[in-house]
Amino acid sequence: MIRRTSLTALMSAVALVAGLGASATAYAQQVTLRVFSGGANQRPDLMRKLFDQYQAKNPNVKVEIETGGATSELQRQYLSTVLNAKDAAIDIYLIDIVNPAQYYGAGWLEPLDAYLGKPADVLKPYLPVYSSSNVVDGKIAAMPAFADAMFMYYRKDLLDKHGVKEPKTWDELSAAAAKIQKAEGNPNLQGLSIQGAPIEGAVCTFLLPYWGQGKEFNDAAGKMTLDKDAATKGLGTWLSMVDAGVIKKNVAEVKTPDTVNEFKAGQVVFAINWGFAWDRFKDDKDSTVQGKVGVMPLPAMAGGKSATCVGGWQWAVSAFSKNKAAAAGLVKHLSSPESSKFLAVEGSLLPVYQSVYTDADVNKTAPWFKEAANVVIAGKSRPMSKDYGQVSDVIRTTTSAVLARTKTPAEGVTEIESRLARVMR
Amino acid sequence: MAAASTFDRLRDPSEKTLGIMLLAPAFLLLALIVVYPIGKLIWNSFYDLRLSGGGGIKFVGIENYVLVFKDPDFWNAAKNTVLITLITVPGALVIGLGLAMLANLPFKRKWPVRLALLLPWALPLAFAGLIFAWFFHTEYGVVNDVVRRVAAPAEPAMWLLRPNWAFAAICLTIIWKTSSFMALILLAGLQMIPKSLYEAAEVDGASKWQQFWQITIPMLTPSIIVALIFRTITALQTFDIPYTMTKGGPGNSTETLAMLIHKTTIDYLDVGYGSTLAVCMFVLSMFVTAFYLKRIGRNA
Repeated sequence: MIRRTSLTALMSAVALVAGLGASATAYAQQVTLRVFSGGANQRPDLMRKLFDQYQAKNPNVKVEIETGGATSELQRQYLSTVLNAKDAAIDIYLIDIVNPAQYYGAGWLEPLDAYLGKPADVLKPYLPVYSSSNVVDGKIAAMPAFADAMFMYYRKDLLDKHGVKEPKTWDELSAAAAKIQKAEGNPNLQGLSIQGAPIEGAVCTFLLPYWGQGKEFNDAAGKMTLDKDAATKGLGTWLSMVDAGVIKKNVAEVKTPDTVNEFKAGQVVFAINWGFAWDRFKDDKDSTVQGKVGVMPLPAMAGGKSATCVGGWQWAVSAFSKNKAAAAGLVKHLSSPESSKFLAVEGSLLPVYQSVYTDADVNKTAPWFKEAANVVIAGKSRPMSKDYGQVSDVIRTTTSAVLARTKTPAEGVTEIESRLARVMR
Repeated sequence: MAAASTFDRLRDPSEKTLGIMLLAPAFLLLALIVVYPIGKLIWNSFYDLRLSGGGGIKFVGIENYVLVFKDPDFWNAAKNTVLITLITVPGALVIGLGLAMLANLPFKRKWPVRLALLLPWALPLAFAGLIFAWFFHTEYGVVNDVVRRVAAPAEPAMWLLRPNWAFAAICLTIIWKTSSFMALILLAGLQMIPKSLYEAAEVDGASKWQQFWQITIPMLTPSIIVALIFRTITALQTFDIPYTMTKGGPGNSTETLAMLIHKTTIDYLDVGYGSTLAVCMFVLSMFVTAFYLKRIGRNA
């Protein structure tokens, strides 16, 4: 680096002498930014197009892309290794919504206040859940890229055929699914598909019926406020649906793509999954349910209120980057309303700006976004913790074990409480 | 004068100086890639080094070791690791010996047998784990498909969701994966046993069974011990296959020590405690290796 700087200085001097000041300035600012852009579900193909747009407007910046990690956990493992080694090779990271707190806490992310402005002003136009989860210790840890949330997908055709209305509570959903399963007489038809394998999605599987009772897992300061009875009841809800044959027995093996594939094959009535699944059901050549899919808010527990799990991805600048100012400039472009609209139109990636949800162009390609906005706004985020790696592991492993029936819900909840008491205080 | 004499000594070194000079590069390299990391690991194990805490480092003495001693997860992982070693090492030895004897039969063409022996060994561990996880899948797995055709049970077995079945499936996979390595080493040993011994035994009227126990096994002992050392050390480090098959689940019923260390350092970012766990595993491995080396000294 030192050598490059001195070389640059030397060349500038030579150029100035030759009276070519302008081009020397351009050379001096020439930077290459390397961006880690997630796995296939984060659509690196579209991100590349955003980079190209930025390069066209800023000829002195060249953007390289790096992709990898099919799931959020795999990406977290890779990034933990890279960032732990203080690697300067990557300037910008696309990270899951659960990570800014942890990465900023570990000193891996550059606070963006100096480049973009005050957190309150900069993050004001975004949906509330994103403006809050990207500010850590009063500093901008990352900027929102695109939103995501867990939605309830359902087979419109089957509900219409059997005269079933959109269920509002989990009990209604269980009854509706059982009715349709019985009437269809297909032993392979699942009533509801949820993710029970020990993957990140299982954290939401634990939280959905818990939140659905109007309970909170943590307070604003990150302290755990677990209501054990409600959590036990929540896990029990899933198990009673397994007993009723609505959820399949090996639910503890089900990962996110399994739900997508089985729903596409027409084997599922109701399915909980992330926003990206909509495109898969609608566009994939092997989808047998094209045109038969509806989306609705998640049911509530009886007497509670509907709540979903919010996801989404953010751009963060590495604390070890050697081109932080240039990187912050690119991040500003990537988190702009124009980029958000581009991702919504081209890839049905949910916008992080409320205004984009009602944009005419967006609604032409994704009419369901109008309702999706309310689902995302009403959604809750998973606990923001500097120890999120541990929080996530404990919740998903225990939830999966309960769904595999190697632990009772009460045992599982006690275990979650005792294991997290140390890190969420 | 002193400088000149040093120079002279370097130009025309004594045998001892020459020895040191020749060994120095290798020693430096070893120090850099073996001694330093192990030293750093032991150093870290005495610190509270949690990256999530903002990078603060605090000396805590043997507190981490006290925690390890009281940590049920450590004992659970240690138990699983020892059980996997005790089951899969003898298992792979028996199967490997059988395969080696089979491969040692006078086939007309030897290469298809050898190739079949080599293939599982050449397969990366993680791939083997993923393939077998697929085999044991409740709905899509070939194991349940065969069971359904033969026995037609009312409910398909959920292999990887029952702690004991998952453990058995993992052991089976490890034995499949590692017995070919055993077989390769044992095959080399078998081929070194002179045919004349068997001919003499034949003349003396010894049965095949007697030949096996009186000739093959004693002559093969050195190879068996070498194979056992290699296999035991890798068995203590078991990671890939359970990680890809069950991720340690259900719960943490199939978690090994290596997986616990990985989880603590990479997922929990608790480098201090992870280092302590790694030191404990290192001690366990050293203990077992020393035990074997002592046995070899006695036998060979």
